[in-house]
Amino acid sequence: MSKFLIRRIIFGILTLFLVSIVVFAATQALPGNAARAILGRSATPERVAALTAQLHLNQSVASQYGHWLGGVLSGNLGISAATQQSVAHLIAGRLANSAFLVLVAAIVALPLSIGLGVWMAVKRDRPADHVLSMTTLVLAALPEFVIGIVLVVLLATNVAHVFPAVSLVPPGEHAWDEPSVVVLPAATLVIAVTPYISRIMRASMVEVLESDYVTMARLKGLSNRVVIWRHAVPNAIVPAIQVSALQLAYMAGGVVVIEFVFSYPGMGAQLVDSVANRDVPVVQALTIIIAAVYVILNLLADLATILVTPRLRTAGR
Amino acid sequence: MSEDSFREQLEQPLTRRQVLHGALVGGATISAGGLLSACGGSISPAVLVPPPIEPIKAGGSVRIGATGGGSKDVIDAHLPAVDPDIMRNWNLYESLATRPANFGPLQMLLAESIEPEKGSAKTWTVKLKPGLEFHNGKSVTADDVIFSINRIIDPKNPKVGATSIGYIDTAKMKKLDNLTIRIPLKFPNATFPDDIGQYFNAIVPVGYDPNKPVGTGAFMYESFTPGQQSVFKRFPNYWEHPKPYVDQLTIIDFTDDTARVNALLGGEVDAIDNLPTGVIAELQGNKALRVLVSETGEWQPFTMRVDKSPFNDVRVRQAFRLMVNRPQMIEQVLLRQGRLANDMYSPYDPAYAASLPQRHQDLEQAKSLLKAAGHEGLAVELVTGPIFQGVQAAAQVFAQQASAAGVKVAIRQVDTTTFYGPNYLGWTFAQDFWATRQYLPQVAQGSLPSSPFNETHWADPTFIKLIQQARAQLDESKRNEILLHAQTIEYERGGYIIPYFSDQVDAYSTKLTGFEPAKSGFPLGNYWFKNVGYKA
Repeated sequence: MSKFLIRRIIFGILTLFLVSIVVFAATQALPGNAARAILGRSATPERVAALTAQLHLNQSVASQYGHWLGGVLSGNLGISAATQQSVAHLIAGRLANSAFLVLVAAIVALPLSIGLGVWMAVKRDRPADHVLSMTTLVLAALPEFVIGIVLVVLLATNVAHVFPAVSLVPPGEHAWDEPSVVVLPAATLVIAVTPYISRIMRASMVEVLESDYVTMARLKGLSNRVVIWRHAVPNAIVPAIQVSALQLAYMAGGVVVIEFVFSYPGMGAQLVDSVANRDVPVVQALTIIIAAVYVILNLLADLATILVTPRLRTAGR
Repeated sequence: MSEDSFREQLEQPLTRRQVLHGALVGGATISAGGLLSACGGSISPAVLVPPPIEPIKAGGSVRIGATGGGSKDVIDAHLPAVDPDIMRNWNLYESLATRPANFGPLQMLLAESIEPEKGSAKTWTVKLKPGLEFHNGKSVTADDVIFSINRIIDPKNPKVGATSIGYIDTAKMKKLDNLTIRIPLKFPNATFPDDIGQYFNAIVPVGYDPNKPVGTGAFMYESFTPGQQSVFKRFPNYWEHPKPYVDQLTIIDFTDDTARVNALLGGEVDAIDNLPTGVIAELQGNKALRVLVSETGEWQPFTMRVDKSPFNDVRVRQAFRLMVNRPQMIEQVLLRQGRLANDMYSPYDPAYAASLPQRHQDLEQAKSLLKAAGHEGLAVELVTGPIFQGVQAAAQVFAQQASAAGVKVAIRQVDTTTFYGPNYLGWTFAQDFWATRQYLPQVAQGSLPSSPFNETHWADPTFIKLIQQARAQLDESKRNEILLHAQTIEYERGGYIIPYFSDQVDAYSTKLTGFEPAKSGFPLGNYWFKNVGYKA
């Protein structure tokens, strides 16, 4: 077990290192640099030259990368080219906002979708199952921005004014200081991810419910509740854990579309902005963080899988 | 619908608008929609109805939703680049003079007068209004003007305005007394007051620090977070008493158009700029909101490099201008929110060559010109990107119209930073956007070999000579005669295709009043929130 953990952590760090190289190379391949991005339409040769020197963009690519890596290893994410503020300062607030949004969405979506999946499997082929299966299929097919805009129309602008239409978080404050701004973005995320997880859960639950040991448990006279939650669910949940991890990582990467629709000050919009600005230090920092979240969530999902699967749990011994 | 009948109907409201221009301010309404609906189109454009003049009360807080913005936002008086930057600029800072909302004669702001010395456009005297104050209480003096000009032109770190007033002979600038400055130029230029009056040439105090922004504008700095919002408060000692009316002004960035509109609908902001064309009709039906339509001189040209094949042959340029069906483009790209143009800019300049015949689509003529130039079946690449509302759609419509003349236009979409990347000002065939300007200032920006943004590489020797003569000519009617010649040359041989002048459309809550249409193309009435307040 600990051997497995150490190996995975080493691989994770290696992955992050490779990601940083690939992303850095990709930013170099983009035409234009931060100086041109900042000047935009007024990019006269004189002003580009002055600003390029000011931003130290005239160093070689290798030395820029080396400089960045050295900084990161000593805990310094560098200075944003576009704002001249420290990257850590620039992204800290947005990171917190994104984390809060994902947390709220996950707390609602995970139990909801597991519960729904189990319920659909238990009610298999009955009207409730058909209706829910159809609904989840339709919702899974809808792009997030459609869900977001429908929610805005229903709850913020045209029909009822219950929640704010856009999530304006004053600088210096966080999303949790004004929790009403999180409701619609989080609801959109919940509606977007629940169908996937619940359908996976339903499928594997259906399979497990048909297995011999469940029939055996029923024949032994165990209550329906014990059969489902003690015997069936732990065995059916593995695929759902894996899918949940992927969905969570996807949300953590900053669901750009949702941040745009609600003007939510999260990581995704910042990343898009920084790519457009060719703001390499910020792009690097954000992609490394997103990659790290993927690595960690996958690791956690694998650990959870091992814990619920006795065969795997004891394999290493 | 034939192009001709549509064009007549488009032209008619235009001339009526011009005739009635004086009456507009008084509150006359002109129904362009009524005239246009006669041609059977289902969409009628938002019409130019000036908002009613209503009593205004002091106090309150106003939140404005601005288009775009991001972490590269600035608050430096001399470095505005994107929409929220320019919005902040108009409210925190002021230049010496500016064009008023109706683009009439120059209106003095900090200056009391800007006069040429001894009848020559080579040396100018600027006299400041007495008793003006910066936000920090310091009075505005000649030293601040000299400091600001030097800061803008600084060769080591040229600011946005360096290209507009770089011809000032900075070493010879002289303070005549505390409020008077002599400004000599490197060459005579009759439009100096216009150039020095651009918003990005604001006057800042000696020792200006952009981290603690101080200006003379109607609002004072309180906080600024790039990509999110800026908060300003009322400047009580503003010279134009009793303005501004509101106590607090908050400018909020919106990356997404839909979010900006939703914020207005949901009441999270009180006004937004740049209404997406698709929602104009919907918002006009909303009783709580008012849509502000401004006719402007903004233009989004197609730029042909006159020194590069195939456009180095004047016949190809003429053919390309004849391929465009302008009314159709106005209808499809702007949803009729614009007016016909004639490949010339600066429609509000008294020198504008309105007498030159309107150019219409003429595919036969275009084909025969291309044939004569040996470019039958020509294929070109048009570089476009999301640089301005509507330009990508215009590229698509152009490509489709050109195919009717047998020209194959391949559209190359690039992102903004690529568009303004190393190939910027070097694209053979691309697009651009320009604000409303008077003719000579515009020429200085884009139509001379010395211009910073000469995207068509236009360098016609006769044209250059005429411009030099016109710049030195202080007599307006004589100058305009020269400029008619210059414009005729551009009309016949230039590298721009200018199909239309686009309208500016914004929206605000009916709780507010004081917004007036601005021909400058700067949204929400020149961004002048000093005029805005809550209804009494």
